[in-house]
Amino acid sequence: MILVGLLLLVALVLPGLPLGEWRAFLLDTAQFAFLISALALAWDLLARTGQLSLAHGAFFGLGAYAAALAAPALGTLPALLVGGVVAGASSLFLGLATLRLHGMYFAIATLAFSEVMRTLVLKAPFTGGAIGLPVQPAFGGAFPLGGYYLAVGVLALAAGISLLLSRSRLHYAMAATRQGEAVARVLGVPVIRVKLLAFMISAFLAGLAGGVYAMKTLFLSPYDAFGLGRAVEALVIPIFGGLYTTTGPLLGGLIIVSLETWLRLRIGEGYLVVYGVILVLTILFLPRGLVSLFHRKGAGHA
Amino acid sequence: MELLLQTLINGILAAGIYALVASGLALAVGVVGIVNFAHGEFTMIGAFIAYLLFVGTGLDPFLSLGLAALVLFGVGAITYLGLIRPVLAAPELNQMLLTFGLSVALQNIALLLFGADTRVVSTSYQGATLSLGGLSFGVPPLLAFGLSVVILGALYGFLDRTRLGLAVRAVAQNRLAPGLLGIETQRVYLLAFGLSAALAGVAGVMLSVMLYASPTVGFAYTLKAFAIIVMAGLGNLRGVVPAAIILALAEALVSTYLPGGGGWVEAVFFLVIFVALTWRSWRAA
Amino acid sequence: MLSVQGLCKRFGGVTAANEVSLQVAPGEILAVIGPNGAGKSTLLNLLSGLLRPDEGRIEFLGQEITHAPPEVRTWKGLGRAFQIVQPFPEMSVWENLLVGALYGKPSTPRKVAERVVAEVIELTGLAPKAQTPAGELTLLEDKRLELARALCTQPRLLLLDEVMAGLRPSEALEAVALVRRIRDSGVTVLFIEHLMPVVRALADRVVVMDYGRVIAEGPYDAVAANPKVREAYLGRAQ
Repeated sequence: MILVGLLLLVALVLPGLPLGEWRAFLLDTAQFAFLISALALAWDLLARTGQLSLAHGAFFGLGAYAAALAAPALGTLPALLVGGVVAGASSLFLGLATLRLHGMYFAIATLAFSEVMRTLVLKAPFTGGAIGLPVQPAFGGAFPLGGYYLAVGVLALAAGISLLLSRSRLHYAMAATRQGEAVARVLGVPVIRVKLLAFMISAFLAGLAGGVYAMKTLFLSPYDAFGLGRAVEALVIPIFGGLYTTTGPLLGGLIIVSLETWLRLRIGEGYLVVYGVILVLTILFLPRGLVSLFHRKGAGHA
Repeated sequence: MELLLQTLINGILAAGIYALVASGLALAVGVVGIVNFAHGEFTMIGAFIAYLLFVGTGLDPFLSLGLAALVLFGVGAITYLGLIRPVLAAPELNQMLLTFGLSVALQNIALLLFGADTRVVSTSYQGATLSLGGLSFGVPPLLAFGLSVVILGALYGFLDRTRLGLAVRAVAQNRLAPGLLGIETQRVYLLAFGLSAALAGVAGVMLSVMLYASPTVGFAYTLKAFAIIVMAGLGNLRGVVPAAIILALAEALVSTYLPGGGGWVEAVFFLVIFVALTWRSWRAA
Repeated sequence: MLSVQGLCKRFGGVTAANEVSLQVAPGEILAVIGPNGAGKSTLLNLLSGLLRPDEGRIEFLGQEITHAPPEVRTWKGLGRAFQIVQPFPEMSVWENLLVGALYGKPSTPRKVAERVVAEVIELTGLAPKAQTPAGELTLLEDKRLELARALCTQPRLLLLDEVMAGLRPSEALEAVALVRRIRDSGVTVLFIEHLMPVVRALADRVVVMDYGRVIAEGPYDAVAANPKVREAYLGRAQ
């Protein structure tokens, strides 16, 4: 909790610090790290109900495309909202279709969904197809730090919702759904509603992050926005940091994205190898994630 | 009419490789109980083995099949011993994520080693075709199909006729609680996982001729194989061949008859996975 | 209180419940017995909504619930404890119970739910274990937790699926006393049980099932003397 607040505070004042000649690069990397961390927090919200999604790259991409297409007509903030809503609505469809799927079947169905979505975006007449889609910067470029603060805002929102949910009664419904769905239903937990709600909140946040990302990169292509890489980031970060927590995805996101950025500079393509290796090592040696190193015992439900 | 016939033939020929990859995955799922996301990466490794041997020594890919099978059996065995066995008792999702991580790692290691370029093994007969009554058969697909049939026949023969094969089937039908694994079962798991990888590798060798070798060539095959075994019914090895034919035919028809079909082919198997999974789940309820 | 008419459930060629009809009166303890595979657990799954019947009708407190989802039945006051205990392993005992108390009745305020948990945890003797992770309990404690969690949903009718299986005789005796206490607090009980001494000690009335059908019904002694019942048990024993 304190750590989360501290991180957000640093994010707020970062542009004011004397960062020297690396300032632009640092801020750009930080903005990317915030968005990916927000995506990871969103993914974790859904995971709390026991659903491991490989569709979060698609929600992120849908949000990015929807916001990019809506921005010229609506302006930056409403367009971002549209991005979130489109992603949320698509998750409702996906969630209803996959309600009865569990474990790996759910994961694979979500992967299939995201590939179909990418094909649709590739083929649709208004998305620029394989060529790509140019995007206006946030607020038409009127505020140089606008995009940066939007990213901070999305991260704060995701972290806030994540914290709020782990303190609410919904926390128990989500944890019960994950740990024993049939039993949860017999205890009166409206499992279907809980799953769909988690799905929509999660996809909405992923879509928001995607929208800000679009206004940051200024150019979208289906291979980038819907790439499997994004889905991998969304799931490796919380697992590495610590599932079902707020600190875990946040800390994991900052560490892994830093590592990723460094690797990108060093080796270019293939940087995703770090995600594969971290995922394997975490599952073999640190199944409860980074946060388990801080409080070793009895905090599994936190 | 001729177009339709040609399309159907292309579909059937493609089904051979699909059935090979999917049989391998079905073995891993049915016997060891692991959906191996890195299965397609074994195919990718097979493709690169064929490519490197061809470039290095001029060895014909169809002659490197045996070597690739052996190497991948080893890779499969090492994967099983080093990564899969430690998580056999862990939650199903941890197993899935582990193989997913392996898949991402292998893909990107290949990317680091070879770059993203596609590499074709250009044999002398690569473009050769046989014509028969106005229909044409590519020589490599024909060879690949024939070999797939032979290999699958040998696989089924092994499972049906030999003692070891019987043991494999027995484990598949009666999976024990992971904590209670006997040594015999452990051996069967090792064998099944090695075989699974070897089948994927052999398919990869064929791909290097018919398609190309590239770091990402395998992942689509993981998913196609998954679509096939979901259609067949998980762990049902018998259903794999018909399901592979259905998928391959569907793809062939889409690519011939749908305007701009090439791009939609990718969506076909995903749609098949999605529909098969959700349909099964709702019917079972 | 509960009225079941002509309930049928088939799995492929097997008819697990065949024209099952029975009544449960308020305040009674009803036992459902029968040989293995007689369809008892299927019946319980049909009653709690985890399975959908192919035919028949279930009424609870005068309302039809034949096709109602499990959580709705729980809200109406139909509680259920499972044979195979399935605690939420990552939660403490207290949190396990809190799930039942929070969601057993829609929009129960947190404070009320905590009070319910406090009462139930005393009644079931789990208070010393309140903060223990549920994954670390003994079998007896697991069984108590299973029962306690169902109680936290504040049921009017409690369905118990072999909650004494695997217990030592002294432990089973304790559990019998606990079920009596539950009934005395105003909860009607329907239970499945294999241990005949427990059935005899606890049940006001016994329903016997075989091959998915109800073959006998009545007080324990009458049912035990019924030739059809003896045949069902002996015939299967070979």
